Amino acid sequence: MNRRDFLRLSTLAGLTITMEGFRGYLSHSDAALNNELAVAQGSSVEKITRAAIDTLGGMKRFVSKGDIVVVKPNMAWDRTPEYAANTNPEVVATVVKMCFEAGAKKVKVFDRTVNDPRRCYVQSGIADAAKAAGAEVLHIDHRRFKDVDTKGAHLKTWPIYVDVLEADKVINIPVAKHHGLAKLTMAMKNWMGVMGGSRGAIHQKLDECIAELAVFINPTLTVLDAVRILTANGPQGGNLADVKKIDTVVVGTDQVAVDSYGATLFGMKGSDLGYVRIAHQMGKGNMDLSKMNIKRLKV
Amino acid sequence: MQNLRRASQGLFLFLFLFLFIQTESKGNDELGYPVKIFLDFDPLLFITTLFSAHSVEKAFYLSLILVFITAVLGRVFCGWICPLGTLNNILSSFKRRKNYIKSEVLYRLKYFLLIFLLASSIFGLQIAGVFDPISLTIRSFSVSLYPMFSYAISLIFDNIYNLKIPVFTDFSEFLYSIFKKTILPFQQSYYNQGIFIGILFFIILGLNLIENRFWCKFLCPLGALLGILSRFSLLKRDVSEGCTSCGVCANVCQSSALPDKKDSWRKSECLFCWNCDDICPNNAVSFGFSKKSSQVSLNLQRRNVIISALSGIVVVPLLKQNPLNKENVFNPYLIRPPGSLGEGDFLKKCVRCGECMKVCLTNGLQPTFLQAGLEGIWTPILVPKIGYCEYRCTLCGQVCPTGAIKKLKIEDKMKIKIGLAMIDKGRCLPYAHNKPCIVCEEVCPTPKKAIWFEKVSVKDREGQIKVLQQPHVDLDLCIGCGICETKCPVIDKPAIYVTSIGETRSKSNQLINV
Repeated sequence: MNRRDFLRLSTLAGLTITMEGFRGYLSHSDAALNNELAVAQGSSVEKITRAAIDTLGGMKRFVSKGDIVVVKPNMAWDRTPEYAANTNPEVVATVVKMCFEAGAKKVKVFDRTVNDPRRCYVQSGIADAAKAAGAEVLHIDHRRFKDVDTKGAHLKTWPIYVDVLEADKVINIPVAKHHGLAKLTMAMKNWMGVMGGSRGAIHQKLDECIAELAVFINPTLTVLDAVRILTANGPQGGNLADVKKIDTVVVGTDQVAVDSYGATLFGMKGSDLGYVRIAHQMGKGNMDLSKMNIKRLKV
Repeated sequence: MQNLRRASQGLFLFLFLFLFIQTESKGNDELGYPVKIFLDFDPLLFITTLFSAHSVEKAFYLSLILVFITAVLGRVFCGWICPLGTLNNILSSFKRRKNYIKSEVLYRLKYFLLIFLLASSIFGLQIAGVFDPISLTIRSFSVSLYPMFSYAISLIFDNIYNLKIPVFTDFSEFLYSIFKKTILPFQQSYYNQGIFIGILFFIILGLNLIENRFWCKFLCPLGALLGILSRFSLLKRDVSEGCTSCGVCANVCQSSALPDKKDSWRKSECLFCWNCDDICPNNAVSFGFSKKSSQVSLNLQRRNVIISALSGIVVVPLLKQNPLNKENVFNPYLIRPPGSLGEGDFLKKCVRCGECMKVCLTNGLQPTFLQAGLEGIWTPILVPKIGYCEYRCTLCGQVCPTGAIKKLKIEDKMKIKIGLAMIDKGRCLPYAHNKPCIVCEEVCPTPKKAIWFEKVSVKDREGQIKVLQQPHVDLDLCIGCGICETKCPVIDKPAIYVTSIGETRSKSNQLINV
């Protein structure tokens, strides 16, 4: 049974049994949880990551025993961690560890990179960190892209990495960065890393495609790495003057809300971002932060 | 001795293949293995590079070790070490009839080729790499045989994968993952000239079916060089009184050394394979340092030597007959790897071993055909449509045996321009079709991006005003890496493309010179 079937079945089961208490374990249909955002700040990357996830009820709330979990960082660029072009390796390692602590059977970490995959995996520091935490760090196997109907108005059928489709739980760990067309790239845009095909071609309708893809993937949890953020010359940077260290991690189950909050880190609003606006209008998330229960922590 | 020799051949072939496979990035800045060591030991490349460029890389002095070994032991390199010799040896065993071509002329061809190459290198033409066995083998493996191997293996496993037979497919995938970790390349590469270079290599292998070690006997210029050196070697062959001139040894000889002719044994041809010693029914043949061997000296005839040398000299101006040698004539597609010397010096040093192409992360480095003239055949160029130059990668310079591509520090490499990007406004989406696209800017690797946007308001077909970002190239910042061309969504004929103008290595191929 894959994640999608599982969700469909469990939603059905939930409806028929109408056991309100049981629904708490189903992250996607948990309305209360979807209103929550945890924002942790502090000097220890591992501590803030843990604190933020624990505030939302701990990893056990999202990952069940025996789950196969996909943890998707952004490691698209041949840059070392201090340039904030890729997700902070410590954030990735902490999330991987927490998945195993929650009983995950296997944690897979991968990304379809833009630069040479070997260099991206190694230079980002993510391959080593995630492996040390017990994850299976795999290079993209091009046979594993499967054409799927994303049900989007613009994206339609696109090859998507099958491991994401088949995983029990999917956790997105993007980094917050500037981007020339999307303005900012954070959670929702990070899903371009599971797209096959010629991704350049979606840039003509980028906001629409990002929103539709992210809604289709519908991750269990989103952990936005803002330990270092890239404020200009994104998404790959290369100039330390463009990097701002703000030691923050933002966690939520509503990826639209996470991105909306992320925009504020750059002095923008969620509604400034086309894909956030579109996803909000689709009713697949909430960009209105005043409606969110934001739990701020200093660790 | 035969088994010992085979063990040595096997060992060195294995070492060669191992190092060859290791000539691949694992994602770190340095490769970690001395992958070019077989080339470093090659005295033919050493001497021709010394002649043509008047300087050689330090590592090339290792080849003097081989000179010394040959001076003491004769052509043991050919018989015991050379990977191409070993492959020829293996292929020769498929030949049915054991009689050899009784030719008094053919074996001299390689000496004429050697003299030709030496003469042309003295006059500044380095084409020894085209014929050098080590260079030839690495090149053929890099751009043809290894990609072929990878293609064939992957095809088999992909087919089993697609069949999705329970257990069996799982097992084959497990096997595939092991292959991927050990003997398969990280990704399938394709090369221009791959078919041509492959065919030439198969012809060399196929010639063994006509004559044992055809290449080694008749053509190999390195063998010829070592042959000349071996004339003075201390290891000698002795035939005792017990010889009945039965001629058995002639059938097993791996070269044209005439082992059955007691008094006219050709020492310069002998590969010291020990076959004649092993097979002699009367145990009359022996090798040793204190032997008195009767041998004939190599007689190439003065006339032939002069003709070969003259041809080598004449070929230099002949190959220069190409408009690219005219001042201010440049081939826009001749984009050399970062750190390449100026074109003249580059051609004097590049031995076309193809290691840079093997190690290139993106498959962008390709062998030329005539882009650099016939003189520059199979030298590396970047074809950004196939693959770009990775910003923080310095591998091509690390593996170059001759310094034709300089070994660069990452900080220096990131500043080197190999060309400049220009925009084809007739194809670029924001220019020609009023559609938003920023891919070139997104992937541009320089810290301050070499591609910048001009915000323009345009009207679409319905008269609606749209704001678009139109890309421009900053000529000072662009390094010509070509990632914009590789990733441009106009994939068949990219709307942004790199040409060689602006390349750091050239003083005159410049757009702005202030």
